[in-house]
Amino acid sequence: MNDDSSAYVRAVEERAPANVALAGKGVGSPKPRRAGLPVALSGLLSSKWLGLVVAVLALALPYLNSSTYIIQIGTDALIFVMLAVGLNIVVGFCGLLDLGYAAFFAIGAYASGVLSTKCGWPMIATLPVVVAASVAGGLIIGGPTLRLRSDYLAIVTLGFGEIIRITANNLDFTGGPNGLYGIPDFGDFGLRSDVAVYWVTAAVVCVAVLFSSRLGRGRIGRAWRFVRDDEDAAEAMGIHTYKVKFAAYIAGAVFGGVAGMLFAAHQTAISPPSFNFLWSALILMAVVLGGMGSTPGVVIGALAISLLPELLRGAQNWRYLIFGLLLIVIMVFRPQGLLPARAGEPKRRRRGGVA
Amino acid sequence: MTFRRVAVAATAMVLGLGLTACGGNLSQGGSADTGKGDIKLGMLTPLTGSSAAIGPHMKDGAQLAVDEINAKGGINGRQLSLTVSDEACDPKTAAAGAAKLVSDGVAISVGGYCSSATLPTLSIFNKANIPMIIPAANSADLVAQKLPNVFLLNGTGIQQAEAASKFVKAQGSSAVALLDDNTSYSTDITKRTDQNLRQLGVTVATHQSVTAGESDYSGAVNAVLGSHADLVYWTGYYQEGGLLIKQLKAAGYQGKIMVADGSVDEKLIQIAGQDNAQGVLATMTQTPQTIPGGQEWIKKYQDKFGTAPGSYSTQAYDAVRVAAEAIKSAGYTDGQAVMKALGQINGFSIFSGPLKFTPEHTLSEGGFDILVIRGSSFALNK
Amino acid sequence: MDHLIQLILDGLFVGSFYALVALGYSMVYGIIKLLNFAHGDIYMLGAFAGFTVLSVGAGALGGGFLALIVIMALAMVGTGAFGVVLERVAYRPLRNAPRLSVLITAVGASFALEYGIAVTFGPNPQVYPIGVSGGALGIAGARITYAQLAMMAIAVVLMVALDALVRKTRAGRAMRAISLDPKACLLMGVNVDRVISRTFFLGSALAGAAGVMAGAYYGKIDFLMGFVIGLKAFTAAVIGGIGNLRGAVLGAIVLGLLESFGVAFLGSQWRDVFAFGFLILFLTVRPTGLLGERVTERV
Repeated sequence: MNDDSSAYVRAVEERAPANVALAGKGVGSPKPRRAGLPVALSGLLSSKWLGLVVAVLALALPYLNSSTYIIQIGTDALIFVMLAVGLNIVVGFCGLLDLGYAAFFAIGAYASGVLSTKCGWPMIATLPVVVAASVAGGLIIGGPTLRLRSDYLAIVTLGFGEIIRITANNLDFTGGPNGLYGIPDFGDFGLRSDVAVYWVTAAVVCVAVLFSSRLGRGRIGRAWRFVRDDEDAAEAMGIHTYKVKFAAYIAGAVFGGVAGMLFAAHQTAISPPSFNFLWSALILMAVVLGGMGSTPGVVIGALAISLLPELLRGAQNWRYLIFGLLLIVIMVFRPQGLLPARAGEPKRRRRGGVA
Repeated sequence: MTFRRVAVAATAMVLGLGLTACGGNLSQGGSADTGKGDIKLGMLTPLTGSSAAIGPHMKDGAQLAVDEINAKGGINGRQLSLTVSDEACDPKTAAAGAAKLVSDGVAISVGGYCSSATLPTLSIFNKANIPMIIPAANSADLVAQKLPNVFLLNGTGIQQAEAASKFVKAQGSSAVALLDDNTSYSTDITKRTDQNLRQLGVTVATHQSVTAGESDYSGAVNAVLGSHADLVYWTGYYQEGGLLIKQLKAAGYQGKIMVADGSVDEKLIQIAGQDNAQGVLATMTQTPQTIPGGQEWIKKYQDKFGTAPGSYSTQAYDAVRVAAEAIKSAGYTDGQAVMKALGQINGFSIFSGPLKFTPEHTLSEGGFDILVIRGSSFALNK
Repeated sequence: MDHLIQLILDGLFVGSFYALVALGYSMVYGIIKLLNFAHGDIYMLGAFAGFTVLSVGAGALGGGFLALIVIMALAMVGTGAFGVVLERVAYRPLRNAPRLSVLITAVGASFALEYGIAVTFGPNPQVYPIGVSGGALGIAGARITYAQLAMMAIAVVLMVALDALVRKTRAGRAMRAISLDPKACLLMGVNVDRVISRTFFLGSALAGAAGVMAGAYYGKIDFLMGFVIGLKAFTAAVIGGIGNLRGAVLGAIVLGLLESFGVAFLGSQWRDVFAFGFLILFLTVRPTGLLGERVTERV
């Protein structure tokens, strides 16, 4: 199916610093892109200052408007950003389609929820367990399937998402269909409790976004994009593709788990319907819309997907119909997403260290 | 590195902002009722999603009560107004909707349909000191946290299970099969019925959960037939209930079938097929159709909205009336005062009978009746 | 003992539905290595197409079995044509794109179909205006209704017809050839695009037929009814060896029986966990399926 002959050639070229740019492109076929507004826009988006401005805005939101509603949907949106950035590692950087990402979200939410309500742990103490549980989930599901063809992974993760949701629904210690309620938050630090949760969330999400963006630019990030663009060539160049894919999958799982913990603290009550397939699909939508592999694009995509329905409260079925059509249209006409990653890697500094 | 300098600067900025704002509204609750203008009542109800059909029934029921009270001059000289927000039967949407209502300055919440979507809204209203009179959602988990602001106006699973168990015992059934659809509402009732029946000395032959949204229930049907139960109690919703009745009959089941209030809908009879549905029993709260004087109310509703009242129209109507009553006796809309007034209501007349809340804030009398399917509709079982 | 036979009969019945859907999955995958995620929703579309035909022309057709066959034929043509359009619009432009793009497109198509129907018909379930009912047959203490027998008979006829088409006809030979080597076929003068369209037509028509049968038998249809069965059909196709048509049928029957027994031992609420858990286990132990040959990822 791939244009076979060029695979090895591209692999060799990949090593030449001048052509590293190839790996930074979206998933689309590598045709030259016309310069224009999108490029200028994505250039602006890659600017470090923009990220900073967004981060400061996010942290300062309660000063601008501290109504309960704004804080509530602001926290929702930030958690969604974290999920999208986590899925971006799996889908955008490494090219593995995960259709059950909400499973890790559920694992994180339930791990912290069970420990804090049934065992009386403080919320922050559940973090190591949340991470461990997410990693375990990633190992169980990734172990057998990452060796197989990539399309198997899509359906198996989808099945896994359903397994986790149904299991949470059927077991007693997860609260059954009603789920868990009365989940504590991180403490109120002398503030209004929803504002306190907002700030904790905002801080965690800012760090997560930064971390994922830098992960994507580092050595492992290059390996991920190499595997995504041509797995066989990557293998031929000595990259242990299974390990690299595993790393992406586990990293994504941890992001999802931590986002789940934030969600549990924020909602105070969690139940299985919150972790259904629609969620997984919406997160994927955010990643695809924003531009797979482009952290700024994905953040903006996530904000749009999370906040738009609040602006258009009520038109739910239409929303999903439009999302579905958008997925097709984007893949056919603009596979790199609306705000793709900048074509090249950032200019190297003198000693070649990470920029 | 630039990045580090930038990070330090950002942290400093935020800290600075944080210090200046201490004592601002960041440490206080949400916007409260101002004491002037309309008294706002907030309602969360599903307007989209799987239960979208219910929303308009609840909204219209509440609006009817609001208009009636306003026509009589309102409460303490102030008019009522109703603000509706979508809960979509989804916890996240419901929480955002609740926050929106808090920000809009509602004095009392008179909504809540899906139990799992209502649970995360409890603490949001509680922190804002807003009483909740929940007309439809009725899981016992809602009151398990013993929050002072939560009052349930619908008969709970406990009461429905009691009514069902008593009826089953009176019928002289020897073995009962309990079926639920694995949602909170449904399992709550089966679990409690299971306990009650065992205490009453009735054998529970099998207890099965099916998955909502599927079509083939042969597994559950086989279990029922294999257990030789002579009465099946289904506590889920009508979509699956209809299929179950049909498949039970097709498999040759001869005993009685009883359904809970979520299945009391004429669609149940359509899906099951009218022949199969004849004689199916149901546990249901009192409806205008079954109480004296109810016909007048139905007519009033129909004249106003052009449709017949649906599920939970009456409860929503009552929720608004109860809210108004509590504000009237409290004298003003402060949350604490209204909660206290709600706890003290005794004998206020609502559809399910005279109202009095138990110390757990549930109805002291659930008012469940047994209905039976005759022809193409439900009728009171003598 | 009678219980055992009942479980087998139920498993076979459910398995025959899975098989009709799994065939389309397997056929499309075999030919263009595309996982048509929207396939389960075409099953749903079939049920709604039948519903529409019935609502419009119920009077003219009368009730009963013959009407069902007519409606099924109409719905099969409808869903088949839709499958062709879907391939043309959403999949063909991406035939040379990375696999991830096509998968995402398929997810999009699935979403668009589900919520397109939800917007058109409303989110609440619809009741099928005709049903198949009638007596039942006792086999060694187990029961199977005539309606179930009829459904299984239709399914078997459709499967045999498909098998004959693929193995005996010229068109079938072209399909098999393309699944072996599309480029060589192109060089040999086979109209690859047309054969792929035809494959989509056949697969979608079978799924549509299954949708109408489900609607008529169960009596209730809704816009999400294709989601779970799509997953199950994929599981069946993998168990049988994806790309292998007889394998898909075998896999579907195995899955139907497994679920039937799994439910009897674990309870209905664990049915899907059991099925998907089995899928993961199967992929670990024998990823090529029962009848599949070794697939090596071609470079």
